[in-house]
Parts: sequence; structure tokens; C-alpha cells
Amino acid sequence: MIEAFRLGIFARGTTLWDGVDLAFDDGSVSVIVGPPSSGKSVLLSVLRGERPPDAGDVVVAGESLFRGKGGGSRSFRASCAFVPERFADPSVRTVSDLFRLSALAGGGMKEGERRARQEGLLSMVGLAGSGEWRLASLSASERARAELAAELLRGPRFLFGDGVVAAAGGTFRDMLGGLFRALAREGNTIVLAERQIPERWAAAAGQWTDAGPFRVYRIPVPAASAPAGESAAMPAPAGGSATGGVA
Amino acid sequence: MSGPGLLWIDWRLARGATLRDSILRFLFVAPAAFAFLVLLLSGVADRFLASRYAITAVLRTPVPQGEGEGLAGKVAALPSVRDAVYRDPEAAWKEFLLAYPGLDSLRASGGNPLPGYIHIRMRPERLTRADVEQVTAALRSVPIVEKVLAGEERLPRMLLAKRYAAATGWGVFGAFAAIFLVVLLLQERGRAAFLADDFHFLRERGVPEARMNASRAAGGAIAASLTAAAGLILSGAALRFLLQRYPPLEQVVGPPGDLLLPATLRAAAAFVLCFAVLAGGSSLLGSRAARARRK
Repeated sequence: MIEAFRLGIFARGTTLWDGVDLAFDDGSVSVIVGPPSSGKSVLLSVLRGERPPDAGDVVVAGESLFRGKGGGSRSFRASCAFVPERFADPSVRTVSDLFRLSALAGGGMKEGERRARQEGLLSMVGLAGSGEWRLASLSASERARAELAAELLRGPRFLFGDGVVAAAGGTFRDMLGGLFRALAREGNTIVLAERQIPERWAAAAGQWTDAGPFRVYRIPVPAASAPAGESAAMPAPAGGSATGGVA
Repeated sequence: MSGPGLLWIDWRLARGATLRDSILRFLFVAPAAFAFLVLLLSGVADRFLASRYAITAVLRTPVPQGEGEGLAGKVAALPSVRDAVYRDPEAAWKEFLLAYPGLDSLRASGGNPLPGYIHIRMRPERLTRADVEQVTAALRSVPIVEKVLAGEERLPRMLLAKRYAAATGWGVFGAFAAIFLVVLLLQERGRAAFLADDFHFLRERGVPEARMNASRAAGGAIAASLTAAAGLILSGAALRFLLQRYPPLEQVVGPPGDLLLPATLRAAAAFVLCFAVLAGGSSLLGSRAARARRK
């Protein structure tokens, strides 16, 4: 479980936000929604243990990421996957290079095993056979999906995505939703930051929680004993649209 | 993150650049290794000068053959002496006639006018004023030695030339090594800058930066050791071939067998170690420089 207490960020000479409390259970999918320049990316970097907050703390499984020994933060980050909003790649890199890098971050993997899993993951995100494509030639949607697939190579317990759903586009929205719910069903924690939440997702979530300038939606995750063949798309709401938030 | 995976991280992430750098390093280190072996075995000018310099102990006449040879044997046992050979009066006479043909009439009047002598060569690394004086003093104390010819007038200039030659030879080698170090640094900084985003990616995912830098440096040192060893083996084989093909080169460099002497092998190991340390250090400095630029 990830818990954030009284988080505050001071940037560019002003307080970006302060007093933000958040909690993400194991096996959950959460979407943090906020307007542009509200500090969503900064929040994700704090929750991942990459950047210390100017106020407050983040606790994972009872251990502080920023106040304890550095080892806790490093081991947590080693179990995290992160898909950023922006990418900077040398022009010569290919999709396979992403997976190679991810495998290195995860402690190394045999080349044959890496290739096999790479093909499976790329097929899952609609990029079958794209291993040798140059990253510079990918569209924003393809890039986000390739990055996501490469991160999943390591089997992370925590997945953070910054603008992944928006970048993937409408065509792949439901596919990603199903993927995230499937990952959560296995006990992984998914935390996404988006400018807008897809309507179906918002409707499925029903309610949201206010946290500073953000709204946090909890996407329902079916139980592990759910029947096989369950649709990968977000479930339709029982009736009506989202009713509003809980402060 | 596993150790072996990090050791070869550059190879995994930038195979082409790493291979190019390794080839360039080999092209530098092979001639450097050749020069190192030549300088080491020859002592720059030591062996050449030692082959040209000799001490001659002229013996009183008459000296029995056995006594002359016995004295030569004792001189040869001195630590600074490479060899000492007794030449009896007949041998001396034949050498005289070879040098000055047509003077065999000198012998007609009163027999062989030449005495026997001992021809002494110094070891190249022991051609010093102190060692020469030790040998000449030992010879002058022997009753059957009439005169010792050691070129004392020319010796100081010769030793000075020897020192200058050594300083120049090793100085040029050192300058080449300094240039190579700059090349190493530029290579490492360039590769670290190229991979800076990847290293940032790994740091974000919990790989400690210090361990990453240390593993890269260790991997670079191991790769450099292999490159230096390959360069030394190739250079040693080339030098051995040249010495066997052109025997006069032995006067300058020494016999091919000296390549496998324990002292040569120890020096070769030190060469490999130095190159490995330089490569590892360059990797660390390059990583630091690239990180500073990224910030």
C-alpha cells in the first residue's frame, strides 16, 4: 500500500500544492486527474520516491521513502514501472532497445527469454512485430504503448503512468483499461495521472476523492475469481453518470 | 540489479560505439606494447652501448693457459659481468694480423710480442660507473694482470648519452601514453553522454548510481586488460619474429628468449594493469563529466 501524508511542493517561487493526502491499496487502479501545470508529474515523481516532497512523506508498506535509509526508496523504485509523459531518445534507438534497457533495470534477462516476452507484450499493446522500429518513427500513441510494454517486462508491483491513456488515444483506451485492471487483479498497484479521465472510466469509478487540486478516481477491479472471458473494456455503470466527488 | 549485468552495460546498450572504441584502443595499445617491449628489453641504449663497450685486462707474460682461463671464469662470475673470455697470446696474434695484415714479419725476430688478455663485457643494465669501477678494481688487484683498459676517459660521456637516451625514449613513450589517456577520457565521456538518458532511466528504477559507475569502471578495466594482453601477445610475437628474421637486432634488443624472462613477464603484467587502471579511471571521470553536463 502507498500512503502519502500532507504532501506539499514548493516550486518556481510559489506553493504548487500542500496538505495532499493520498492512499493507494494493493491491487488497485487509481487515476489522478488535474488540469495542465497542476503538478501531476511532480506528484507522480514524489509517489515513486524519485523526488522528495517539500512537506509531508510517502510511506510504502509501513516504510518511509524519504525519511528512512536510502535502501528503502531504492528497493521500492526497483519494483516500480514508470511511463513518462515526455521521452528523449537518441535517434538510433529501437523498440527492442527499450526492452533491453528494461531488462537491465530488472536485473538482467537471457536474450532469448527477453525476445519472447517482448513479442508477447508488444502484441498485447497492439504493436506486434515492432521490435526493430526506430523510436523516432513512432507516433505518440505507439511510443507510450511501447514504453508501457517495456516497463511490464520486469513484472513490476507498482505501475505509474503519466498521460499514458491520453497518449494512447481513444482506439486503445479500452484495451489499456482492461490491461490495468488485469494487472491490479494480480495484486499490482496502478497509479495514472491524466488531464482528463475517459467518460466510461469515470462512470465506472462512480465517485472521486478530492486531494488538493486533484481528483482521484478508483477504477473498480474485478475479484480474482471473476469468470473467464470477462470483457476487457470498462464495465458499464449500473445507472446514470458519475455523481460527484467526495472531498 | 545483478553484478554481471551492470559490468557489461555499455556493451549491452551501445554495442556499436563500444566495439568502435575497443578497436581504436587496440590500434593504440598494440604499437604501444611493441614500443614498451623494445624499450624494456633494449634499455633504450643500454644493450647497444654494452655491446660496444668492453674492458680489456692485459695479462703479464708468460701466464699459463689454465691460470688465464681461471681468472676469466672468476671475472665472469661477477654479478655485473655478462661474459669474460680469455684470449691466449696466439689468439691475440691472429686477431692482430686480421686487423693489421702484412705485419706477420714482426714475429720473425723474437717470437709473439703480444700477451694474452681477458675480454670482458658488462651486463646492459649494469653498465654504470660504480659497476665498471668495481670490475676494474678487482682486476687491478690481481698480480697477473699487467694493465686494465676500461676507456675511463670516454666512459662519463657514454654514460651521459645512455641517460639522455633513456630519458628521451621513455619520455616519448610517456607522451604517447598521455595522448592515449586523453583519447580514453574523450571516448568514455562521449559514451557516458550518449548513454546519459539510459543511466537516468536505471537510476529512476532503483539502480544506485555509485554501483553503476563502479561496475562500468570495473567492466572497462576488464575489457582494457584483455585488449592490452592481446596487444602484448601480438607485439611480442611480432618482435620475436623480427629478432629471428634479423639477428643483428639482437645487439640492440636482445635475444628472443628474453621475451619470456620472469622480469619481462612481470613488466608486461604491470603494463596490462596500468592500462586497466587508466581505463577504469577514465570511465569514472567520463561518467562524472557526462552527469555534470546533463544537469
